[in-house]
Amino acid sequence: MGNRINELASQIAEKFRSSGYEVSVKDVYKRLKLLIDEFKVPENEAIRTVTNYFIKEFDVPRDQLVIAESPLIKIADIKSPGQWVSLKAKVVQLWDSSSPNVSQVGLIGDESGIIKFIIWAKANKPEVKEGKCYLFTNVVSDSFAGRMQVNINRNSRIEEIDEDIQLPPREIEVVGALIAIQQNSGLIRRCKICNRVLTKDVCPIHGKTESYDDLRVKGVIDDGENYYEIILNEENIKRLTGIGLDEAKSIAMENLDRNSVLSELKSRLLGRYYKLRGTRGERYLIVSDIGVLNAELRKEVEKLLEGV
Amino acid sequence: MIAGGKSFRRAVARRVFAFELNNATYRIESGDKAIQLLLPTGVACSRIFLVGVLLDKEETRPDSDFWKVKFSDPTGVFRGFVGRFQPDALETLLKIEPPEIVAVVSKIRLFEGETATLVTVRPEIIVPVEREVRDYWIVETAKHTLSRIENMKKGGDELVELAWRVYNPDLDAYEEKTKEVVKTVLEQHSVIEVKSEGDEETVEEELAVKTEKEREEVEDLEISDLDEFEFEEEEWDLSDILED
Repeated sequence: MGNRINELASQIAEKFRSSGYEVSVKDVYKRLKLLIDEFKVPENEAIRTVTNYFIKEFDVPRDQLVIAESPLIKIADIKSPGQWVSLKAKVVQLWDSSSPNVSQVGLIGDESGIIKFIIWAKANKPEVKEGKCYLFTNVVSDSFAGRMQVNINRNSRIEEIDEDIQLPPREIEVVGALIAIQQNSGLIRRCKICNRVLTKDVCPIHGKTESYDDLRVKGVIDDGENYYEIILNEENIKRLTGIGLDEAKSIAMENLDRNSVLSELKSRLLGRYYKLRGTRGERYLIVSDIGVLNAELRKEVEKLLEGV
Repeated sequence: MIAGGKSFRRAVARRVFAFELNNATYRIESGDKAIQLLLPTGVACSRIFLVGVLLDKEETRPDSDFWKVKFSDPTGVFRGFVGRFQPDALETLLKIEPPEIVAVVSKIRLFEGETATLVTVRPEIIVPVEREVRDYWIVETAKHTLSRIENMKKGGDELVELAWRVYNPDLDAYEEKTKEVVKTVLEQHSVIEVKSEGDEETVEEELAVKTEKEREEVEDLEISDLDEFEFEEEEWDLSDILED
């Protein structure tokens, strides 16, 4: 525990030092230790209290200290909530705000990744525009429903910059095992008007409607570190299994059951490794090219044995 | 993937050999989330993907549709159960005659008894696959295991530190075992390359010998303790199924 406090104390002292104020580590340590050890105050509250104390003591202009503690980083480096950071990013997408407390909400991105952002109404900032790039200074990371986001508050600044920031490639290559095939896969029916998939012969928009057959697989590719939800179209499926729309229809006819197509696809596709390329959508990776993984086992093994 | 609408996170399927999985005893408390098992090499695991041999299937009671299953990789066995709540796995299991090479996607359960803990698998998917898939799985799993071992040596990560405290694993032993297993992939390959020109029977025989050998290894691993709580485990698993 003592070590941890020591560490925090030097961090706080360092923060002041980088803004040009000499604060004694020992002094910080004493105050922190009292709050954390004696009074059992939660760590982050203790840090805030001690920091505020020295801000008052030295009469540090608040924004000066804040600027000093918000390093310019890449979006991919945002890993935990409560990080104060600055980002150079492009506004990828604006969503409809669902709350009067939120001025704007959407996605921003840089070369390393894409993250959700929220500009609070209270922050009183000018609006950002889709496709433009900005320097976001002093924004704070947060986690919501298991995902990271950044919040823009009163202490933040937004400045438009004359730079075109590249977003991460939307097309990615993945190698992994197909570990699940989801519902609404196999031989499906689509609405003739809107192409949506029918469930129980009913289109979610157009109700009972004329339809046509299609073949697709919604599945999950897993590489042991990440998973990707993918969509395979008829062409992909035919290349992998030899089963195209016509073959699928005759399998369904023979068995008098459309579901038999899905069973057949599951037994041929699940549990195998694939190498694929696809374009990221909101949730699914739309596969453009896929093949069974043809690994050079001998090489891989040799690499493993000498590599360590 | 970009956030949008509902954010439902699926658990990643870890690649882990039986000997490591069966050494795991520690459950990570994480409130609302499904159980997470802490692996001795310092990652959380609630789902696995394995490609091995279905050694045995046995219905616990006649017509109960509740099957005890045993899968093997070159390092040991994965024990578990398949029931009506895993319809995909059950459907294919009924058609498979062991021994057969299968790919398995499975949830992980941890039974905590008085004197010992037991890791069991609850397969969601069981599919017969080709031999090459199994070979690649061994290489892939070795790769993942070795990289977890590296991370353990580096330290720093919260789960890694926890794994050191809970298991204090003998990483050299893990590393050695992992490399040993990888080598078997090459050995098998040379066997097949030579024999493939000859008659198929020899290959079949080879396979039979291999399975026999795996069986023996399995017997070795069966600690006498296990029998003692076999019944309890079943009872526990059943109650769990009812909750589902």
